Amino acid sequence: MIWFQILAILGLVALVTFFMIHRGTARSSAGVKLLFVAFVVFGVYAMLRQDDVTWVANKIGIQRGLDLVLFLLVIAFAFTTVSTYLRFRELEIKYARLARAVALQNAEKQSRE
Amino acid sequence: MTSGATSNDDVWLVIPVFNEAEVIRRVASDAAKTFPNIVCVDDGSRDDSTGEIIKAGVRLVRHPVNLGQGAAIQTGVEYARAQPGAKYFVTFDADGQHRVEDVVAMIDRLRTEPVDIVVGTRFAEGRSESVPFVRRMALRTIVFLSPRTRRMGLTDAHNGLRAFNKTVADQLDLMMSGMSHASEFVALIDHHHWRVTEQPVTILYTDYSRAKGQSLINGVNIVADGLLHTRMRK
Repeated sequence: MIWFQILAILGLVALVTFFMIHRGTARSSAGVKLLFVAFVVFGVYAMLRQDDVTWVANKIGIQRGLDLVLFLLVIAFAFTTVSTYLRFRELEIKYARLARAVALQNAEKQSRE
Repeated sequence: MTSGATSNDDVWLVIPVFNEAEVIRRVASDAAKTFPNIVCVDDGSRDDSTGEIIKAGVRLVRHPVNLGQGAAIQTGVEYARAQPGAKYFVTFDADGQHRVEDVVAMIDRLRTEPVDIVVGTRFAEGRSESVPFVRRMALRTIVFLSPRTRRMGLTDAHNGLRAFNKTVADQLDLMMSGMSHASEFVALIDHHHWRVTEQPVTILYTDYSRAKGQSLINGVNIVADGLLHTRMRK
């Protein structure tokens, strides 16, 4: 099972790195949407056909299907947290620049009066 | 305006202000005796800081919402660098921690030495005794953890007192809104290859400034922002 763990962690790091480097491009934005759809489809399938998930899990050295789902959930959650944080930071920067422009315009107006 | 003050016509003091109504008028008017050009950036204060700034007779720029100290400094610098004749800029705290004499010495060095930015340090010439122990340890740790700070020979990267020339002011683009701007400032010095030097300064730790000072747990936020800000700058 150890090879799966290593692979999963490396995959997660690669995924986060890829999306951080290509952040804001149409390609990465489309990638996120596709990943989301794939994740939801997988989730629904896992609920309906639990034995199939266990079969896949066994193939890659994990005992229970539920464990596989949980691992994937952890990866998805970590990824979502990082990308949400970055998105918020970007918005904060835009918001600060907008507020600054308003403040500087008002100061200019006051000094003319 | 006194005759002494006219020689500092090309200097602008930038003071970020957030809920400092109690002290800001005294701090600003004291500094104005030496440096006639002061801009206070009221960062969306909920008390009467604005009124006190106006009474002090200095320029006021008002953020419509609270954005944090880094954002206020950036706003103040953008305002000051657009003023005719502005050559030197100083970031100065509103809580009365900084001494005007130190600013005078820093501006003198900018005028005479080949440097772009002078950063204050609490840890020179045995002045560190005045710094409270826990704070001293925390600030030492920040320097220890930052290879960049050590490489540039800075001993007190989180000192709010900085004086710099127009080159720095024109290129300055702080994006970390909160307290992380100090680390960001160091990163920018490195990135733009500004010639930097330190100036020993004395920080006046009053009860008021101690109460207002950033909490040490905020160091966690500073470290997290620092890890991510290189990516944000893309």
